[in-house]
Amino acid sequence: MEQIYVDKTASRGIAAAPVYLYREPDLSPDREPVSEDQAAAELEKFNGAREKVQKELEHLAQENEIFTAHLEIASDFVLKEGVEAKISGEKKNAQLALWETIEEFAAIFASMDDAYMKERGADVKDIGKRMMAELKGVKRPDLGSLKTEVIVAARDLYPSDTVKLKSEFVKGIITEEGGVTSHVSIIAKSMNIPTLVGVRGILDKLTDGGTVCMDAENGVIVIEPDEADLAEYGEKKKAYEKERAYLESLRSMPAVTKDGKRIFLCANVGNAEDIRHALAMNIDGVGLFRSELLYMDNTHFPTEEEQYQVYKEAAELIPQELTIRTLDIGGDKELPYFEFEKEENPFLGWRAIRISLDMKEMFKEQLRAILRASAYGHVRIMFPMIISPEELRAAKELVEECKRELDVEKISYDKNIETGMMIETPASVLLAEEFAKEADFFSIGTNDLTQYLLAVDRGNKKIAEKYDYFHPAVIKAIGKVIDAGHKENIKVGMCGEMAGDKKAVPVLLELGLDKFSMSAGSIDYVREQILGTGFF
Amino acid sequence: MVSQKVTIKNPSGLHARPASILTQTAGKCKSDVIIVYGEKKIQAKSILNIMAAAIKSGSEIELQCSGETEEQDLKTMVELIESGLGE
Repeated sequence: MEQIYVDKTASRGIAAAPVYLYREPDLSPDREPVSEDQAAAELEKFNGAREKVQKELEHLAQENEIFTAHLEIASDFVLKEGVEAKISGEKKNAQLALWETIEEFAAIFASMDDAYMKERGADVKDIGKRMMAELKGVKRPDLGSLKTEVIVAARDLYPSDTVKLKSEFVKGIITEEGGVTSHVSIIAKSMNIPTLVGVRGILDKLTDGGTVCMDAENGVIVIEPDEADLAEYGEKKKAYEKERAYLESLRSMPAVTKDGKRIFLCANVGNAEDIRHALAMNIDGVGLFRSELLYMDNTHFPTEEEQYQVYKEAAELIPQELTIRTLDIGGDKELPYFEFEKEENPFLGWRAIRISLDMKEMFKEQLRAILRASAYGHVRIMFPMIISPEELRAAKELVEECKRELDVEKISYDKNIETGMMIETPASVLLAEEFAKEADFFSIGTNDLTQYLLAVDRGNKKIAEKYDYFHPAVIKAIGKVIDAGHKENIKVGMCGEMAGDKKAVPVLLELGLDKFSMSAGSIDYVREQILGTGFF
Repeated sequence: MVSQKVTIKNPSGLHARPASILTQTAGKCKSDVIIVYGEKKIQAKSILNIMAAAIKSGSEIELQCSGETEEQDLKTMVELIESGLGE
């Protein structure tokens, strides 16, 4: 038995389950050349791997149409001939021949200027990885295929991994990297999965399938627990559940402070499932619908129709407001089907509204989809990463353009739809008075705001302690934004991690924040805090 | 060898979906099926080759079939492309 203490709890809770080590195996090719008489054996190896992958894909294609195209590429005779020529002609081994052929095709697709075709490059690479894993006789992990309860341990989890997480089977998450505001933490919190992050060296200590207990309340991991540990964790889990029951008993109460101010408690969500989950917490609306998940968990830019269906479902689910944030991609969020140019400073680069305003046609598809969905509920549009009034105006003008189109097409939408903005750049804080005259609402995004105000990269572990939204500069900025908004009679909300931190509740209430929007898992705690706070 | 010119009508050119329908049908032909697009000669039985050629909407291609069943195969392929490849 070994105990490890961790100071970074990303999502609360207690768990005990076997470990699932999530590691992409080494798929780099063996570079040893082959002799004349070995070539036949290498050809056989390649064809064997190819057949296995074809069978695998035939099976997958029955469940998901995406794999039909994969199957055809895997079966393509040009791919086969390319590899065979390298084995027979250039005396390369099967692994290297496959690797090079795949790279050649992927490069052709990657060089195309069409986003849809670039996506094919990712397909080709994925097929290459499948075949390579077969050739090397290694298994590739797949979070989507989990069928038993596990605690997932990984170096880090990326958006492409977390979209496959199912809370039914994933009982806990432990990562070596990442901070409490990293992507995995946000997703884990919204799914209520106990999660500890930034646990250095943990992967070397865990064995795949070995049982682990984790306490994501106090930050403890127990490796190879004995009977007594398991019993103790059983007790802890019970106590935790008792506290949960108390919090749940407060749910029916509206969030009103002791001095009588009604506070709006909203949820941050990524899809309809999140909304259903959050509705159970008695929320006052959705303060942040992350539309980027719709783009990330996809094989192509979602069409207007596809988006409309998703937004409409969301709007119908929730009787109160549904605030949809337009595409916030770039930074650490990429798309599987779109090649972003490598940037020196992605967080200071081409992201969010900057991409949307550059790719107008794509942006308009999203805006039209949101507008059409607004006929079915109380929908609001929110623009991310705004730094200047010109950007806000340009975005609002596009909304107007879409409205005119819909009018001509006689398609209904909410004519009084509100358009607001995120306050997450220092520029938007300094210009808050001007913005308040043109935006219908503000929502403070403390994650980016803190990182930009303090010049602290939230993913950098060495300076993680400096990343602090209680820093006086951040508090002052929040106060200024709230005052600016109230002067123009607009509501000011917050949708960053800080809004879900119960320790931050008193100061935010004192500053006059109207709306707290957070992952569903934090709502009970923040409600309890609000009910107990008042300034007389 | 027999050949015929035909225009690609698909609004987005030969993208994955129409390309895969074309490949599947070409794969059933006994003769060799070649698409001549500008200077390029493309194997119609390979989805990778077709997609990599990025044939745009409105462009004229020449279909060449050679083999025992070339007449019938050419007719099949031309009809398929003119019907819009399932789009």
